[in-house]
Amino acid sequence: MRLPILFFRLYLLALFCFVFAPIVTSTVFSFNSDRFPTMPLGHFTTQWYQTAFARPEVWEAFRNSVTVALSAATLSTALGFATAYTDFRFGFRFKSAYLALALLPPTIPLVIMGLAMLAWLGQLGLSGSITGIIIAHTVMAAPFAMAICRMRLQQMDASLEAAAWNLGASPWRAMRVVVVPFCLPAVISAFCLTAAVSFDEFIVAWFVSGLNKTVPVMILEILQGNVDPQINAIGTVVFVTSITLVVAAQLLLLGKTAR
Amino acid sequence: MTDATPLVRFSQVRKSYGAIEAVRGIDLDIDRGEFVAIMGPSGCGKTTTLRMLAGLETPTDGTITIDGRVTNSLPAHERDTPLVWQSLALFPFLNVAQNVEFGLKMRDVPRAERQAKVALWLERLGLEGFEHRRIDQLSGGQKQRVALARSLITEPEMLLLDEPLSALDAHLVVRMQGVLTRLQKELGITFVYVTHSQSEAFAMSDRVVIMGHGEIVQIGRPREIFRAPRNRFVAEFVGHNNILSGTVTQGEIDVDGVRLPLAGVSDGPAEIVVAADRMEIYGSPPSSPALKAAFVSEEFAGAGVICYFEGPGDLELRAQVPEARLAELAPEPGKPFWLAWAADSPHVLTHREGRT
Repeated sequence: MRLPILFFRLYLLALFCFVFAPIVTSTVFSFNSDRFPTMPLGHFTTQWYQTAFARPEVWEAFRNSVTVALSAATLSTALGFATAYTDFRFGFRFKSAYLALALLPPTIPLVIMGLAMLAWLGQLGLSGSITGIIIAHTVMAAPFAMAICRMRLQQMDASLEAAAWNLGASPWRAMRVVVVPFCLPAVISAFCLTAAVSFDEFIVAWFVSGLNKTVPVMILEILQGNVDPQINAIGTVVFVTSITLVVAAQLLLLGKTAR
Repeated sequence: MTDATPLVRFSQVRKSYGAIEAVRGIDLDIDRGEFVAIMGPSGCGKTTTLRMLAGLETPTDGTITIDGRVTNSLPAHERDTPLVWQSLALFPFLNVAQNVEFGLKMRDVPRAERQAKVALWLERLGLEGFEHRRIDQLSGGQKQRVALARSLITEPEMLLLDEPLSALDAHLVVRMQGVLTRLQKELGITFVYVTHSQSEAFAMSDRVVIMGHGEIVQIGRPREIFRAPRNRFVAEFVGHNNILSGTVTQGEIDVDGVRLPLAGVSDGPAEIVVAADRMEIYGSPPSSPALKAAFVSEEFAGAGVICYFEGPGDLELRAQVPEARLAELAPEPGKPFWLAWAADSPHVLTHREGRT
């Protein structure tokens, strides 16, 4: 009994090491003075961060990424919540088809998604614009928001909303004072998670971004030129941003379900 | 409105969901200040009836009139028909005071007035000092009282209750019954109480409405329904009744070859009900006629013990005896007993004149 448990613990540890080793390596080299990522390490420095963030195009890319992430997170959380609520409140024909469609985007290969978005946004005259990236990321992130909101709604007593109507709340008011407050942890969590999805996303952004590069797209362009420890610095900032959002999302969700 | 018109009138109300008919044309008047219990087995349409009254369901057909006004399609939030839910449906993200003041807030009552009313109702229900408690920090009985305060704070003319005590422990049920009857008397408002529990319905209500298969089967005072069930359905659903059929001749009914007394019924086939508490049990054959039956099991039920027997022709019989008497009889499964009743005890369900 004890031995397998020990084995699984070690296995889990090894798994996490394997997953995080590249990221940790990149973070370590971002603070290393040597030009090339070799052992032994040189001395500690923040010069790569300084040089990277002295470049205006890096700031530009971060501005783009933050704009896209916040907008896409807002839109996809609103969409995801509405979709989940529709599923919770109403029974209708073809509901399973509705759900399947709503959850479809993450199953589409990213290259296909990128190409499709490029073609479609081109038709709309939005390719290469920030709006275009926002639309593409909203499509990709909304299913995640929906899944999170749906999980929370499933914990809600269906008579809670009806109780609000019964006590004199109009359907809109009941939504505002009962359904949304009940789902608030999930909504914030969905916002964080969708922001992280958008902030990290490279392939589709690469197809549709044009001159308005987001951070991941810019990283690739720097990388194509040469190997530079500045990339490690930028990558570390991106990683810390995303992991913070994801951890925040998880804490909010776990906190509510544990009760 | 004069007091002569009923507060609520259902007339030929039907509700169907696709092919399923939940309520099949019911007529029911509910008066002001009345405590009405709607009782029936699950799926009989009692909850649907209540939900239609609250505007949470729209009748397929017929009219529901509240206070002289047809309210079929009036949305729930425009009615003053608060409901105490089976699940209580308290808002978990609000504290006790915020839950209780909800109805007033939705009516845009000013803050000072809301606070005064919350204080009043919490005191009325013995919840002083609980204002800032979270809902998950309350006991079952306390939650129940918060739900009541939340529903009553708008001082409605009628309160709807949907099996509100079904989640409580037995000893709390009796206490809450006391709270409910006291409140109803003090406030003088109408209570419409849906339940499947006859002890709750009979203990509290002025009138009981028995529903089955989407129809009203019988309406009456608890005692009437208990002593004179209209048909077999009610007799089986209510109380511990023995239902027997036989042929009546000369003031006696022939049940499986045993002639038992039955007063005031002319000759012909009949179906009769004898309440368990009217049954006499004998340990040895009595001088008068009695049904021989084998003891099956016993069940403690408040005032006494219900004993179950198997009579002639697999007939299920039950008799209620005081606990002391049970010890005297010393029943064991399979042991034979003799059951009989006084001539005026049976209630006749169906009776056809003439000989068979």
